[in-house]
Amino acid sequence: MSRPLFIALLLLICPLSSQGAEQPARVVSINLCTDQLLLMLADPAQITSISYLALEPNSSFMAKQAKQHPINHAKAEELLTFKPDLILANEYSDRALIGLVQKLGYQVETFPLPSSIEGIQGNITRMAQLLGQEERGQQLIKQMNQRLDKIAQQQLAVRPKALFYQPNGYTSGENTLQNTALQLAGWRNLAAELGIQGYRAIDIETLLLAEPEQLFTSSYAPGSQSRAQQQLLHPALKRVTAGREMIEIDYKQWICGGPMIANAVEQLHQSLPK
Amino acid sequence: MKLPLALTQKQLISGLSLILAALFLLSLFIGSNPIPLFQAAGDALLDTPSVIALIFTEIRLPRTLIALITGATLGLCGAAMQGLLRNPLASPGLIGSASGAALGAVCMLYFGLSSAVPMALPAGGMIGALAATLLVYLLAGREAGTLTLILAGIAINAMVLALISLLLNLAPSPYAVQEIVLWMMGSIANRSMADFQIMLPGILLGWFLLMGTGRSLDALTLGEETATTMGFNLPQLRWRIFIAIALAVGSAVSITGAIGFIGLVVPHLLRPLVNHQPSKLLLASAIGGAILLLAADICVRLFPAGTDIKVGVITSLVGAPFFLYLIIKSRRSLL
Repeated sequence: MSRPLFIALLLLICPLSSQGAEQPARVVSINLCTDQLLLMLADPAQITSISYLALEPNSSFMAKQAKQHPINHAKAEELLTFKPDLILANEYSDRALIGLVQKLGYQVETFPLPSSIEGIQGNITRMAQLLGQEERGQQLIKQMNQRLDKIAQQQLAVRPKALFYQPNGYTSGENTLQNTALQLAGWRNLAAELGIQGYRAIDIETLLLAEPEQLFTSSYAPGSQSRAQQQLLHPALKRVTAGREMIEIDYKQWICGGPMIANAVEQLHQSLPK
Repeated sequence: MKLPLALTQKQLISGLSLILAALFLLSLFIGSNPIPLFQAAGDALLDTPSVIALIFTEIRLPRTLIALITGATLGLCGAAMQGLLRNPLASPGLIGSASGAALGAVCMLYFGLSSAVPMALPAGGMIGALAATLLVYLLAGREAGTLTLILAGIAINAMVLALISLLLNLAPSPYAVQEIVLWMMGSIANRSMADFQIMLPGILLGWFLLMGTGRSLDALTLGEETATTMGFNLPQLRWRIFIAIALAVGSAVSITGAIGFIGLVVPHLLRPLVNHQPSKLLLASAIGGAILLLAADICVRLFPAGTDIKVGVITSLVGAPFFLYLIIKSRRSLL
């Protein structure tokens, strides 16, 4: 059976939603970030396969919803067996793989990793259009904006100083979701003020001299041990913040840009000194 | 060998101590940001210490102290090992004590034991160091020549390295695999006072055990039989030194990783200055080791902040050519 015919048959079988827009019926996502947007926006019947990382509870915000779908490991042979009519990838996905499936005539859509709210909105809108679910996309953006607006209205007069501190001493400077979220929640991000671009290691003496009032972290693998992770336990960190414990923000809320950023912003906002 | 400048032991030790004291102070001054050190030291005594005081007491002081006691341990253990085995190439690095200690520490750290019981970390280092050292010693045989001992050391080091990388691959932490460099090269960056306290008891105990071995090592230069007839109990001496090395090197390496070549180079450089007398070499090598590691760690910190160069890179860059020189020098006696 040829592919167009197969799709036509599928389209006949699957009930279309009211939008009238053309909806791809067999969507395969090969990246955690596109997995999550797909799970949020598509009809479950549209989702043919998602990446194995979507099941990982620490990094996937949609881990529960992901359970009912077949998974893939982003390997070319495996993707073809799903007979996808749309493949979703990330800007950091395997270039060679994307080139190969494109050469074979499959439609591949690549999404950027956003570091701002506009970027997140852009990704949601584009994903919704591709899936023929524009209304759901608008709804999702509206809900996120409402939550963010609410926080924007309750800001302190003086923004306290905060800093992200990750294993191996990494911090989030300008052009990161952490920076965006910190600012929206009402904190100053010292890393951005020190001129750090993106994710970079910060020297512990420089960190102390900046005198953060609160440190935040976001564990990728909670419960596991390494020298890199032990660096977060350095006693000087707690002393410089006047005994305040480092606050943990769930990794799954910003490993990918999505409406769940509102959760992170709310959590950061609640940790502002009273 | 007669020295051009004849130093008494007292002059040598006080000279070395002066250099060490100068480096100790210098080390406190050097960091990624210049801070007014004397003000920092004064602030440290206040009830609510300032940030510069925090940098002084929580970052620079522990780093300097750890470099000091680790360097001293490696120098001292190298001198004791070379004296015991009467072998110029014996040292904690080549004989497997250091890599064995790293293996033991890796077992404890990455699988969660040391976060539950902090002292498990140096304990793992001690057990690993003792096991690897004994294995090399048994493999090479008691009267092993230089070459046999080195070959046995290479074999055990290779096996231990493979085990370390296997364990780090199996460890649950996603950061574990990258940290093999830390264990094989050694680093003192970002350590805290808590780390210093964890390593201190084992190191002091090891030093204490080694300090009394000088006379036996002197007698041993005359040969095992002569030493035995002079009334020295050699099997007991052997155990004492192996256990002391395990305690001290095990504790040090479990915090810093295996820092190479200090235990090899320092005793060699200082031996002519103490008239080849093992008893005098012990203390001199301890101070010399501390000097070398402190100097190397200061070097590392002079690189711009963010370039995370491991201190073992510097000691190896200095030590490896020296090792080659030793091999060339001793080629005649080996062949």
